[in-house]
Amino acid sequence: MSGWKTCPKPLPGDWIVISAGLLLVVMLFLTLWHGEHAAKLRIRQGDTIYATLSLDQERTLDIHGPLGNTRIVIHQGRARFVSSPCRNQYCVHQGWLSRASQVAICLPNQISLELLGAKKSYDSLNY
Amino acid sequence: MPMNLLLVVFTLLLNGCSHEPLYQSQSYVFGTLVDISIYGESEPRARELANHVQQEFQRLHDSLHAWKEGSDLTRLNAAFAQGETPVPVSPELAQIIQDATTLSTRSNELFNPAIGNLIKLWGFQRDEYSPVNIDADAINALVKQAPRMSGIVIEHGTAYSKNPTVRLDLGGYAKGYALDKAAAYLRQQGVKNALINIGGNIIALGQHGDHPWRVGIQHPRQPGPIAMLDLPDGWAIGTSGDYQRYFELDGKRYCHIIDPRTGYPAQGTQAVTILVPPAANAGTLSDVASKPIFISNAGDKAQAAQMMGITNYMVIDAQGKIFVSAEMRRRLQWPEKIMPKEKHVRLENLP
Repeated sequence: MSGWKTCPKPLPGDWIVISAGLLLVVMLFLTLWHGEHAAKLRIRQGDTIYATLSLDQERTLDIHGPLGNTRIVIHQGRARFVSSPCRNQYCVHQGWLSRASQVAICLPNQISLELLGAKKSYDSLNY
Repeated sequence: MPMNLLLVVFTLLLNGCSHEPLYQSQSYVFGTLVDISIYGESEPRARELANHVQQEFQRLHDSLHAWKEGSDLTRLNAAFAQGETPVPVSPELAQIIQDATTLSTRSNELFNPAIGNLIKLWGFQRDEYSPVNIDADAINALVKQAPRMSGIVIEHGTAYSKNPTVRLDLGGYAKGYALDKAAAYLRQQGVKNALINIGGNIIALGQHGDHPWRVGIQHPRQPGPIAMLDLPDGWAIGTSGDYQRYFELDGKRYCHIIDPRTGYPAQGTQAVTILVPPAANAGTLSDVASKPIFISNAGDKAQAAQMMGITNYMVIDAQGKIFVSAEMRRRLQWPEKIMPKEKHVRLENLP
């Protein structure tokens, strides 16, 4: 046990391990740090808030709009439109929403998805 | 006991957070999403005011609808197509037409609400869009017939058109006009702080508590904002984009903004965002003035902005390259590190 009391000078191999570790941290930061992760999904149906749901669940929702049924899925902390009765399918093409403040709107079927973070980063969206 | 007291204080603090005096209402009018936020009024009063504004929007929507049977505009268009017989026109519609004519002239007719027949030909006078068979002959014929706002004559409460191919479509005007009406109404009612959003066109009154209203600008190709800014009291913001109303045919995108010079959808631009300083018609300008910039060729966009009196603007071209005017650049904040992340994105100053 006495050998542990003194700290030997790092060998070149140690420096390689330390550098590789630091590099990994930097790379992970750059690849994974994409703004604030969202905690909740707000679904609006027409002029009302249909639901505000945790993203921490696996769930499929069917919501009725003027054109018919829209299907929304929550999966692994993300949410998206999966199917919609609208013609253009812009809402489905928006794909997965995963970060706070991301929005997908289906104008024809009057349903919108918005991801909420700890604090709202803006009051309204210009588009 | 002190622990209990602490709990009470915490509960009160939390209560304070959740009872921010912010009222929000949402509806679908003008074929798009309408959002009204009112800050600092009691909830019953805010609801009453927002309902009044929503009803006024519905009235304008019904009156100015470009293709629904029975709207004031549809009836007027039918009369224009018939020939030069004057028909009665409401004072409001007469004033809208005169104002739109002035703005059309100022834009060298790049903003041209008289090309409803072209918009119809491209299938954009419908609730949902699908690819159309491009009728080049019909398009060229209509461009030759040159429907213009100056063809409309308004006198003694009546209107007629010297050019029967004039067909009004106020798609690039009505939402902005409605913003001005709503802002004027809320101010007159003593509302200090509100944010009104009609399909992305936004006007601000006052601010959100102790800080200005914050607005995100939609990324033209991704969900979520590309940039953010503070919208000060009285300012309006508007975007013309190729991503809300368009169809794709043979891999090419055709958006709803038609170049009146060619009769074809404008190409080469994903989005144009403009900021308009306080004025009685700030909302209208925020709707109208982005169109000439959007339609102009890349080299003429700065001049188009100048022509419309716009100094704050951002252009995103077909390659996703971002151009911002010096004034606009000072106001924009980039929420994520989009610049290094999207290598095709470049930020450039305009002259």
